Amino acid sequence: MKKRLYLELENCIGCRSCLAACTQCGGHEERNRNYVYDVNPLVNRQTMPLMCLHCVNPACARSCPAQAIQIHETGAVLSALVEKCIGCQNCTIACPYGIPKFDTEQNLMYKCDLCIDRSKDGIPPMCASVCPTNTLQWLTDEEIEAKQKQFNLDNGKWVTSMPYLEGETNVRVNLPGILQGVTKLF
Amino acid sequence: MESTISTTKKPGLTVNDAFASHFAKSMFLTVAGLAILTFIGTRMFTHIDLNLYGYMVGTIVFIGGFFYRFIAWGERPPTKIFIKKGLKLLFRKSTPKTTTEQLVTYRFIWERGVYRWMQHILIGWGCVLACLVTFPLVFSWMYFTMKENGYYTIVLFGMNVMNVKAEGIIAWFSYNALNIAAIMVIAGVCMVLYRRLKNMQARAEQTFMYDFLPLYLLLFISITGLLLTFQNMVLHGWMQPQMSLIHQFSVIVTLIYLPFGKLAHIPFRPMSVFARNYREHYSEQHMKECKVCGDQFVSVEQSSDVIQVLGVNDIEFNMNDGFNLAELCLPCRRKYRISRFSGVATHQVKVKEANQNANG
Repeated sequence: MKKRLYLELENCIGCRSCLAACTQCGGHEERNRNYVYDVNPLVNRQTMPLMCLHCVNPACARSCPAQAIQIHETGAVLSALVEKCIGCQNCTIACPYGIPKFDTEQNLMYKCDLCIDRSKDGIPPMCASVCPTNTLQWLTDEEIEAKQKQFNLDNGKWVTSMPYLEGETNVRVNLPGILQGVTKLF
Repeated sequence: MESTISTTKKPGLTVNDAFASHFAKSMFLTVAGLAILTFIGTRMFTHIDLNLYGYMVGTIVFIGGFFYRFIAWGERPPTKIFIKKGLKLLFRKSTPKTTTEQLVTYRFIWERGVYRWMQHILIGWGCVLACLVTFPLVFSWMYFTMKENGYYTIVLFGMNVMNVKAEGIIAWFSYNALNIAAIMVIAGVCMVLYRRLKNMQARAEQTFMYDFLPLYLLLFISITGLLLTFQNMVLHGWMQPQMSLIHQFSVIVTLIYLPFGKLAHIPFRPMSVFARNYREHYSEQHMKECKVCGDQFVSVEQSSDVIQVLGVNDIEFNMNDGFNLAELCLPCRRKYRISRFSGVATHQVKVKEANQNANG
């Protein structure tokens, strides 16, 4: 059963568990590859996570001169292959969301690979498995559809993946309730 | 692209027009160059070691595969830019230092891990040493003659370079260079195999064909090569001719496979020198300022190159707010995304991004 990472942005409480969990994934060498941002830091405490959304047509891979960024059969856009990455940093400039990180010493780009050693076997990525508020979830397409019905918004913009992103992505992001004035009951 | 360029030039007058394709031209020039060097090296084809002719054919097939793969790779828009500008910037002051760090001492691999670096040094330099001995012998650019009993003359490109004692230290290193290389490669490959068997991440990601096959090929070459020496020294040459064919087979198969699998990163690695030169040169010239915070984050050249490359792939990130996403520095780009999600202009708030590294 194919599952996707699914983000419900307004649930985030800024605990940064996802960052800590990311460092603990096998191939991540204790460096996290995701971000948590204050939405309006001088006004309120709302935070939102930001991670690689695994574009269907990834700009990072398209701009890579060394073909170091491979796309896994599950749709995950992998971190640079260590033997191929030549350290040009094209991917960091190309990514519309500013996700890839670069290590100057190692001459190597690294980015979220959806914990491919886990997710290829259907195990949720580290971030999703620790998130305490269900901001990050690991769901099948049917479950995501059920979520959509549950909140029952009729403006057709429930999933932000297209209108608020630059292209189709494998990770699904929902439109925050805050923006729509909807109060969620947990 | 190609056709629009060629119509502006006078047709039929350049050297390129003599060849059907880029591939044909590279192939012709390389094989011709090899033939000329061999002609000189063998004193007009009088000293060819026909025992090694299989390697010669194998090398030429390898060159064909190499150009096929390299030219196909170089045609990708981002690669093309780096090759073109990298060649132009090849003679920078920093090039020797960069080249040494990237291609000789593998400093960046040291930063990735000492164990990793060690296996690379052993395999990499073992293979280079082996190639430096093998190819001159195959094309007879180097051979040994004995005029005087007990002394070898080393002939390099048809010139008598030096006389060495047949029992001397230089001669010993010449006979055993390939054995030393084989031991280095075997040690390195064993280190790699040990890591691949123990490291959980490696175990999750590796595949037999991509990650193990090249290692087994290297091991196959080194062991059959060492066996040749063993048969000579201990078994009085028993089965040596057969083993020499097996060894030859292993080398030729690896050579032909080299441009297509994991080992392809060897011929492609010099690109990292190009990339470093490109980044250094253009950031000295003019840096791009972030459209939101004004920080200089990348060279103007690279920013516009990336925008152009994405354009070739029909990817446009021009925003309604009047900028291309490639014109924002990375933190601003991330904040801009948050602002798109939330409707709050996060990227305009002059607050540094909160702790993004889970270091506690």
